[in-house]
Amino acid sequence: MNIDDVLKIFIAESQELLQQMEDALLQIEQNPHDPDIINAIFRAAHTIKGSAGLFGLDAIVSFTHVAESVLDRIRSGEMAFNDTLTALFLQVCDQLNALIAHVDAGGSLDELEPALQKQGVALTTNLSHYLSGELAVAAAAPQRATQVVRESSDTPNEHWHLSLRFGPDVLRNGMDPLAFLRYLNTFGQIVHIVTLTEHVPAADEMDPETNYLGFEVAFATEADKETIEGAFEFVREDSQIRIFPPNSKTVDYIQLINELPEEDLRLGEMLVRCGALTQSELEKALLKQSEPEASPAPIGEVLINEQNVQPQVVTAALQKQKQVKDNRTAEGNLIRVDANKLDQLINLIGELIIAGAGTQLAAQQSGAAQLVESTGVLSRLVEEVRDSALTLRMVQIGTTFNRFQRVVRDVSKELGKDIVLEISGGDTELDKTVVEKIGDPLTHLIRNSMDHGIEPASVRLERGKPAQGTVRLNAYHESSSIVIEVSDDGGGLNKDRILRKAIERGLVSDNQSLTDKEIFNLIFEPGFSTADQVSSLSGRGVGMDVVKKNITALRGTVDLDSIEGVGTTTRIRLPLTLAIIDGFLIGVGKATYVVPLDMVEECIELTSDQSSAARQSTSDYIDLRGDALPFIRLRELFAVEDEPPRRENVVVVNYAGNRAGLVVDQLMGEFQTVIKPLGKIFDNNRALGGFTILGSGAVALILSVPGMIGAIAQRQAAPSTAMTINS
Amino acid sequence: MSTDVTTALLPSSGEAERQHLTFVVKGETFAVDTLCVREIIEYGQLTVVPLMPAFICGVINLRGAVVPVIDLEARFGGVRTATTSRTCVVILETQDEEQPQVIGIVVDAVSEVLEIPLEQVRPAPAFGSRIRTDFIQGITKINDEFVVLLNVSQVLSISEIAGLVSNPQTAMAFGSARTALPQRSL
Repeated sequence: MNIDDVLKIFIAESQELLQQMEDALLQIEQNPHDPDIINAIFRAAHTIKGSAGLFGLDAIVSFTHVAESVLDRIRSGEMAFNDTLTALFLQVCDQLNALIAHVDAGGSLDELEPALQKQGVALTTNLSHYLSGELAVAAAAPQRATQVVRESSDTPNEHWHLSLRFGPDVLRNGMDPLAFLRYLNTFGQIVHIVTLTEHVPAADEMDPETNYLGFEVAFATEADKETIEGAFEFVREDSQIRIFPPNSKTVDYIQLINELPEEDLRLGEMLVRCGALTQSELEKALLKQSEPEASPAPIGEVLINEQNVQPQVVTAALQKQKQVKDNRTAEGNLIRVDANKLDQLINLIGELIIAGAGTQLAAQQSGAAQLVESTGVLSRLVEEVRDSALTLRMVQIGTTFNRFQRVVRDVSKELGKDIVLEISGGDTELDKTVVEKIGDPLTHLIRNSMDHGIEPASVRLERGKPAQGTVRLNAYHESSSIVIEVSDDGGGLNKDRILRKAIERGLVSDNQSLTDKEIFNLIFEPGFSTADQVSSLSGRGVGMDVVKKNITALRGTVDLDSIEGVGTTTRIRLPLTLAIIDGFLIGVGKATYVVPLDMVEECIELTSDQSSAARQSTSDYIDLRGDALPFIRLRELFAVEDEPPRRENVVVVNYAGNRAGLVVDQLMGEFQTVIKPLGKIFDNNRALGGFTILGSGAVALILSVPGMIGAIAQRQAAPSTAMTINS
Repeated sequence: MSTDVTTALLPSSGEAERQHLTFVVKGETFAVDTLCVREIIEYGQLTVVPLMPAFICGVINLRGAVVPVIDLEARFGGVRTATTSRTCVVILETQDEEQPQVIGIVVDAVSEVLEIPLEQVRPAPAFGSRIRTDFIQGITKINDEFVVLLNVSQVLSISEIAGLVSNPQTAMAFGSARTALPQRSL
């Protein structure tokens, strides 16, 4: 496997973990003692450290290690989270993010930018204050492995300790205990030996064929426990052989246990895997456990009582077991899939839908009832496959929303305002590609709300509002669009001031009468600076035209509502998906067009009287049950030259509260369509949303209703402004 | 145009001839390097795209991919060619900002694939040609007839074509000017 690929996975995973860590840190402010949250933070730090070690990213390992040590103290209850500590750990998060970004960019950790390095040192020093001296030293060590080595060489007890009590009959069975001791020398060295003679009776009572001796052996070897035990294979039955690993080994075992793959292992298996316990010891212990007279003690206890394993090792194993279980529940049943594979699947399903539509058309033309029926079933299934394939790309917007907790927290501290972020509708799902691109515009809007919207506490109290300001993020679905609302309970927009500014800038003329909504939406115009509106912090967080541009690029819209003194709400409306839509087929001249079905409200007939009446009055609207419905004649817009049919139809479309009629020749019914991207040549054609391929194999154009209406509105608005300039 | 077109055309391997596809548009013969020709298909089932410059005939479905088709004669500034039974669409592949772009061109008839000796290719004359000089890579003579070697990346320049529809207002006006406005003024 390519190391770069693995590194990419590490980077992605670490970023995710850091996000989780940050979320948890923000939560901990409310519940400083919640063990679940503390564990989540610890786990994130621990995993990052572990994986970074695998890649030899020592700078990350040593830095995380300090943080982890502090977290460990918190976890064990020695100290608790407070505001300073939370803030410190948020900085740790940022630092780790920066380090990982540096790795991601292909940089070497040895040559960090000085600022990053300085920050790292400062944080380490800060963190060390929370550690006892000895831990701080450990933290300074670059790698954990060297740490372990040093420990083992420093401590005197680095030998295996063998406690041998050969059975009395061992000589009679033809075994010489001395032979075993000599054999030990073949794969190690007996450093020290004590012979236990207290069982030797007086000389006349002594049976020369009976063994009375025991040995305590200090044994230095590279071999593992299994090999040592193997040496005593033949005498195990009637002798007591206890093998104690050296102290350093205990550390190794614990580390090994921590590094075991995340499998659901039994305690015994786990200990065997890391070598702290041999298979035969385990079997013996299990046998003991199942003895009828024995109390039903857990296997861990049995093993400790039998002195097979050190208590620390068992504790570590038990902890690991719990961690595995915890992770299992946290991860649920998620599978990580390459986004490209998913795209490929969706493309294929797109082809399938086109092919299916073709088959169905052919079946209907053939008139074979059975065939029509079976293709009907098939197309229903394909539709279901399409829907579930599309949901694969869907992610909940909650993760994106939660990210703003941090933004709000930081900005409110910066501004010295007490502002809380309320989130709702976090489980609303939308396409991943859209989610990725919505972050920046949202940050803009939230910063704007906090900076310009919410008043200082004194003003708020004066106005009878609670001192704490609220910014709300909300998301919901509305007719296959997703709506994201950013609202605040601040001062709202000053209509007159915006209007005055707009007139000053020549965006509108004096005598133009605008609705409130139109006035508010002026702030999305490029060149409209709000600098006059706010005295403090002017010039930052503005750029509303950039917000609008970003959202328009996603084929979305943005508009704004505000009540002075009460608050402002910005609404972003985005398409749910960019791949497949349900379409409504219409015919104009010889061509077929597709209108997204969710925009179609109804279809009505355009009588020739109405048509000619509209022509007479030179105004393009008809009477729809008492309301004036503006309409667009697609024949004229698309310059179709042949004769119009006797009967025309109006498709009433609704987009973002704007209603309009499209005058078409023919209504051809619903059709499921795969959106094929326009390609560069047609990108600038605002009337088009994309292409699709019909069952017949012909290409049909998908109309972009908002684009078309927008372009026409602009075209009609243009002459009127020209007139005002003249006057 | 630079005068050393022939050397520019020469590949590094030093081959003296290059295969070119020749075709006829409005009685004139043109040639394109076979390396950029993907395939030649029958003219048919073309979907017109409204509000686009006149030389863009529309789009076709090429085995599931939507491919724009351009009328070469109209691109050169003339009127659209009338289709006959011999009308073909030549599918070409060009590079635009490192991205391969597939575009079809409508031609009156496809003639043959010829080995054109590169030393016989002359640079385009500074004037006197019916078409823009930057569309011409070079001119050669085959059977006593002048053949224009087209500079495909210029003729099918995506950025230039896209720029022609960049302004929605002109595009809209462009579309409606022909029929809508005269009617409305009644």
